Order: sequence, then C-alpha cells, then structure tokens
Amino acid sequence: MDKTTHFGYKQVDVGKKQGLVKGVFDSVAGKYDLMNDVMSMGTHRLWKNYTIASSNVSEGDHVLDIAGGTGDLAIKFRKKVGASGKVILSDINGSMLNEGRKNLINHGIIDVDFIQANAESLPFEDNTFDCVSIAFGLRNVTNKDIALQQMYRVLKKGGTLLILEFSKVENEMLKKIYDLYSFNVIPKFGEFFANDEDSYQYLAESIRKHPDQETLKAMTLDAGFGFCEYHNLTGGIVALHKAIKT
Amino acid sequence: MFRLAIEKALNHMINVNSINIERLDNSLISLYVDDIDLKIFFLCLNSRIFVIENSEQKDANVDITLNKKAFLSLFKGTSFEDLIESEEIEVNGSIKTAQQLADLFALSSIDIEELISQYTGDVIAYQLGRTIEKIKSATKHDKDSFVENLKNEFTTLLIAPSRSKFFKKRAS
Repeated sequence: MDKTTHFGYKQVDVGKKQGLVKGVFDSVAGKYDLMNDVMSMGTHRLWKNYTIASSNVSEGDHVLDIAGGTGDLAIKFRKKVGASGKVILSDINGSMLNEGRKNLINHGIIDVDFIQANAESLPFEDNTFDCVSIAFGLRNVTNKDIALQQMYRVLKKGGTLLILEFSKVENEMLKKIYDLYSFNVIPKFGEFFANDEDSYQYLAESIRKHPDQETLKAMTLDAGFGFCEYHNLTGGIVALHKAIKT
Repeated sequence: MFRLAIEKALNHMINVNSINIERLDNSLISLYVDDIDLKIFFLCLNSRIFVIENSEQKDANVDITLNKKAFLSLFKGTSFEDLIESEEIEVNGSIKTAQQLADLFALSSIDIEELISQYTGDVIAYQLGRTIEKIKSATKHDKDSFVENLKNEFTTLLIAPSRSKFFKKRAS
C-alpha cells in the first residue's frame, strides 16, 4: 500500500499530492497576486520586504528563489544583487512561472533565469548559491525534509536559507479571529475574485497542517544547517526562518 | 530587530567600503554587555557578518565581555587597546579577532545609542517607576523639594540614565 500524506485536511497517496497541488496553482495562477493582496490586505508585501531586509544578500550574490511564483521576491533580489549578481526563479508549476515571467517583464527585468524545478530535486550543483528563499511554498512540498536537504546542498558555506511561511498564531484571541477569517472569509474571497472556493479552502487547511515554528526550525537544523532562527510576523500568522549553512 | 539593524549596518559598511573580512572568516564571536544583559553573537562567513542569538549554544571562538559604556564607546572609535588596558573589556580568545570586530564597529555609522535605548527601554521604564517611589518616600513631607528632586532625577535619568543613582544601584 502506498504511503499517504496530507493535502489540506485530506489524506492522499504521497504520489498524488504533487498533482493535486499543481491543480490548485494552475487554477489560481492568473489571480494569485490579486488574491494575495485581498487575503492579506496587502500585508504580504511587508512580510516579503522584511524577508529581503533579513536576507544579508549583497551585490554580486547568487540567489535562488524556489516556488518563486509571480516573482515578488525575485524582483527585489534582482535589485540587491546588481548586474554582477544572478537571480534564478524556480517553480514546479508552469502556470505560475508564466505569470512570474510576465510580471518581471512588466517591471523591466529581463535578466532573471526561470527554471521549472521540483524543490525535492534541485537541478543545481552543490555550493552554488549565497541565498535560497522559499516564500509560501514549503507547505505545498510533499517531502519537506528532502527539500530542505536540497536547499542545504545548493547553498555555499555561509549561505542563507530564508523560509517565509504561514505558521502558528501564538495569541489565543488572534488565533480565533484568524481561524474565523481563514475558514469562512478567505474561501468566499476565492469564489468571488478567482471563481475558485476549493483552492482557497485548501490554502486555509494546508496552513494548519504545516509544521509550527519550532518544528520547522528543528527540521532545518536536521537538514544540516548550523544555525536557524525564526521571527514571527503579525503575531505568528507568518514566520520567517533564517538558517545559515556553516 | 536590534540584531538585524546591527547586521545590516555592518554588512552595508563592509560592502560599500570593500572591506576584506577574510581574517574573521569562520569565527563565532560572543559579545556580552553585562550591565544590560545583552548577549549577541557575530558569525563571520562568506565575507559577511551574521548577528545571531546562537540558540544552538555553539561555543564561540572569542568571548568579549564589557559594560554598556565601553560598548557604546567602541562605536565612537575609542581605542580597543585603551579599553582593555582600563579593564573595561575582557576578552577570552584571540584578541586580534576581537580587535578586528571592534574596528568594524568603529567604522560603522550605527546609531548604537538609539538601538540600545530601544533595547533598554523597558529597563528604564521600570527604573522610572522605582525612582518615583523612592523620591516620594524620601520627600513625602516637603512638596517643593519633592518637585525639585523629581525634576533633577528625571533629567538625569532621561539624558544619562547610567548617571542616575537609582540606575547605578541596580547595575552594581
């Protein structure tokens, strides 16, 4: 019998999760940025700015943005690394990569490479990047431990891994409000703005199934990183984990 | 935010001035400001500095212990040797490595007093409460003296908290 894993609150065969996640992102790709703005009331931009500020990326660095989607982080990284640096935007989903390509061209950026790749088997040599980022992507990866080991492998010594992801809300009152919002309001936004309630129901469920801050930190250290710290944003709705390869 | 602000400022300064920090590479330096109980670690790797909390509790190559006054003066360019001679800084490990980190502090344009004041804001607020209580009890029979003492103590506390007799008592 095949092993199972979670897809939102459902248990599915491990081999099927990737296809199901692909279905979600194929469906939402065209409205992804709009929905991010609507759902987070624009706050996702602050979370991403904080991620960039924490990245310790400088001119000339090589950066890999995994699950880079519509390219929000890649655009900001491109500015930081300058002409002597390099940014690669990767995503497992072709529809999201297409949206990213359009978005970057609209920003006048043509020197970012796009690679369709699975985070569990990154097609890069060891010790290639100064920084690897994954924003709101890790929870959709089937085998997170393998993906973290891959991120470790492709980072140089002294390279930084940044994981921006939904996490566990610490405050009980905020948690109640957040649960009410994400299970009752977000799927309705999805239906209204993207004509897709199910995908946004999956979003709310997948967040609850994602490892909490301390668990993810432990997973990151297990993958080989020497140091890992996290910073809760908006009361832990989102957390930024920053790990360093030593 | 305190650590992030220092990390950003140091790395910005290293990049802008093309400072070679190769000699610090692979070092983990612990810095402890004892009178405000501030402990931070500087990890130097990949030609950059990470300012971390080291929750993994890895052993540092160099341990620097100093008081707040000495910490602030490092950022104002006070000679590291002078501070060691006057026993305001204690170093365990390579003094050269500690000196190199101190040199970076001196070159940076970090508004360390502002950062420290944010960090110690809660300590000062606590002290302020205690100060009021002490002045009240010391001058409860003399209203004019109470107001004067309050003014003086507030002024000292707000401008130079370390000179406040109440703050000094706590730090000792």
